[in-house]
Amino acid sequence: MSASIGRSLVLLSLLFASAGAVAAFAAFLKKRADLTTLAIRAAYGFAGFMILANLWMVQALLRNDFSISYVAQVGSIDLPVWVKVVSLWSSLEGSILFWGGVLALYVAVATRSLTEAHGWARPAAIGVWLACATFFGFLIAGPAQPFGTMVDVPADGPGPNPLLQNHLLMAIHPPFLYGGYVGMTIPFGLALAALMTGRLSPTLLGTIRTSLLAPWSFLTAAVVLGGWWAYEVLGWGGYWAWDPVENASLLPWLTATAALHSAILTERRGVLKGWTMSMVIASFLLTILGTFMTRSGIFNSVHSFTQSAIGPTILVFLGFATLASVLLLGFRVDLLQPDGELERGASRDTAFLAQNMLFVLFTFTVLIGTVFPLIVEATRNVQMSVGRPYFDRMTVPIGALLLFVMGVGPALPWGASTSAELKRRLLPPLGLASGFLVLALGVGIRSPWTLITLFLAGYAAHVTLFEAFRPARTRLKIRNDGFVKAFSQDLFGPGLRRLSAYVAHAGAVTAFIAIAVSSTGSKSVERTLAEGETMTFGRYTLTLEGIENLEEPHRTSLIARIGVKKGDTVLEPLRPMMNQYRSQRESIGTPAVRTGLIEDLYLSTMNIDTNSRTVGLLVMINPLVSWLWIATVIMTAGGLLALFSSKRAGRVVEPARDLQAEVAR
Amino acid sequence: MNKGVLGVGVVVTAPLLALLLLNIGRNPSAIASPLIDKPAPNVRLKNLEGGGSLQVSSLRGKPVVVNFWATWCIPCIQEHAALTQAARANPDVAFLGVVYEDSTENARGFLAQRGSAYNSYADDEGKAAIAFGVYGVPETFFINRGGTIIEKYVGPLDDDLLRERLAAVRK
Repeated sequence: MSASIGRSLVLLSLLFASAGAVAAFAAFLKKRADLTTLAIRAAYGFAGFMILANLWMVQALLRNDFSISYVAQVGSIDLPVWVKVVSLWSSLEGSILFWGGVLALYVAVATRSLTEAHGWARPAAIGVWLACATFFGFLIAGPAQPFGTMVDVPADGPGPNPLLQNHLLMAIHPPFLYGGYVGMTIPFGLALAALMTGRLSPTLLGTIRTSLLAPWSFLTAAVVLGGWWAYEVLGWGGYWAWDPVENASLLPWLTATAALHSAILTERRGVLKGWTMSMVIASFLLTILGTFMTRSGIFNSVHSFTQSAIGPTILVFLGFATLASVLLLGFRVDLLQPDGELERGASRDTAFLAQNMLFVLFTFTVLIGTVFPLIVEATRNVQMSVGRPYFDRMTVPIGALLLFVMGVGPALPWGASTSAELKRRLLPPLGLASGFLVLALGVGIRSPWTLITLFLAGYAAHVTLFEAFRPARTRLKIRNDGFVKAFSQDLFGPGLRRLSAYVAHAGAVTAFIAIAVSSTGSKSVERTLAEGETMTFGRYTLTLEGIENLEEPHRTSLIARIGVKKGDTVLEPLRPMMNQYRSQRESIGTPAVRTGLIEDLYLSTMNIDTNSRTVGLLVMINPLVSWLWIATVIMTAGGLLALFSSKRAGRVVEPARDLQAEVAR
Repeated sequence: MNKGVLGVGVVVTAPLLALLLLNIGRNPSAIASPLIDKPAPNVRLKNLEGGGSLQVSSLRGKPVVVNFWATWCIPCIQEHAALTQAARANPDVAFLGVVYEDSTENARGFLAQRGSAYNSYADDEGKAAIAFGVYGVPETFFINRGGTIIEKYVGPLDDDLLRERLAAVRK
């Protein structure tokens, strides 16, 4: 009964999605407003029933309703409530239902945000969204059906994958990732709508930009949350391993970042319309590629789900979506005529162009490295893996160039300028750049790429701060306002959009510094400590005070209690441990991290021997890692501020402006 | 129509999609071993009970299945019934288990509780595991009558997987 209610909700949402998609495309083709209204209602119908299906699953998980197959598969009576709720996305079928739920929220909000001013792009976009929704509805109703009926209802279930219960971050990371992945459907639909109608109006471009900002912010946070989880849980002391699935989350972020920037050129100059649409479309297709990579089981990764019919089904969808996109781009892109032209030479335009080229190069570099093992295996029947060295060698120079563009770009004026003007703008930031370089050399950094990165980061930091506060400074000078008043005008006024971009840049500069220093400046030592024995590493004195045993229902843990002294200061003891989960064949270590603004002390156990009372310990000192987490908060805040600013602008200004354009036509 | 855009789109996406299609069904844990088509390492294994030992080369002339396992390994428990059944159904094939990083007592208790149809052996200091290049359990090696390793399987076996492989190893 309970399972069939769930199935009915899914089927109803599928019905609304497919009927709505047909109505929307018919409305677009026949130019019929009544069908548009129908499609809009169907979109809300799909969203409503899909959200209900998700809520139905959550209540089933909370009530331990093991008559539903998914609950029997991942549920368990003794779990804490938060684990029960996050079980919704802890396993394959549930994660796809959750995808449907997130898509429902996005489609509902996006449908609401479209107005008459969007013209026939409105039904076209709704049609694309509902076509995607139809696919996911079909996936949930068919290959990934979570609402199966259990014939023999078990008394209790096994509970979700233990790794998911290991850290709260695993509960937070997937919703952010889905917020990013699924949200790319919205700009994708709008971009296809622009191609279908053959017109990219300022209103439509503004909506595309806004709809990119939400998933971009989520994805920014998700990529780094994944890294943070790896750092806090996996115990090898790093946060990024170029794992295929990590790459899968990075790829759409790269193209979405490119799209956000090229959209600015499109907005200002009326150029690169087709290019911006291509970047938006690529971001969506890469999210589906990433989903395929995690769900097909063809890549080895900590994230992989097992093989099933879901993988091939997603591939078919990816094929269709790609075909539709390539055909639409090929046949319709020439209709999106440029309204202006790019400024050549040393201008902001050129910097934007360079930025986009670098991001695309970055995307291809990561994509090729990720699929290269498949190519080699298919052609030469040899197994191989593309490791860190390839990715590091290729991406570090691209990253340095990006940092260079992020420094020089905003310093350059829009349009042509004289060489005196260029000197006035480009020379002063060299001061902070040199300052960073001297500081780096002073603290003993010798790695050439780190020094280059820090020099460029100093340059970009100067430019970013200078530009961020430029309007406030001008107001201070001209109007003699107080600093708070001068600055808050940007925060609460039309200057917010400009400011938000520099907030994101400030986060990016910080991230560059943290990545460069932490990846080259970390020190490590491996030692076996007997109980009571003491070792020193850097300024730290570590003592193995004892080995503790912790029995929990789902795992047995051995804990090494390590006394920590920094110089003469006694700090809280750290407790790295080894966990043996009932359902895993290898034991999993959980590292202990003492986070600091300058450096982290990172302890990870390699083995704990209870007979000889010894612990094999990996001790690492990782500089500036915590700044990567801080940087991400800043970048995400930048994205959200931009989202907020464009919502505000969009509400008041843009529809009106575009209506005038429509009337003038 | 913009032929350039269409061309670039096809050139970028078609090979990628074709590649993914070709790889459907790929199993990333099927790791090719350098020992495939090489003679099986001739190691000496100690009986779990009593003294005595087994020289792997003494089984030459029969197809051999060598299964590395441990009592702490959940997939090994999963595949145990399938292996036992296959050993009973195929008396012409020599099955042998090798206990990997586990105590003899644990292994004896495990077999007493779950039953067995073939002998398991202790691996002194992990020499056999090193010779076979085992990096985790369960791993199973299929050796033909001539003493050549024809396949290494990583992960739990089931009835179907065993049937296919036993047919191959008999050839």
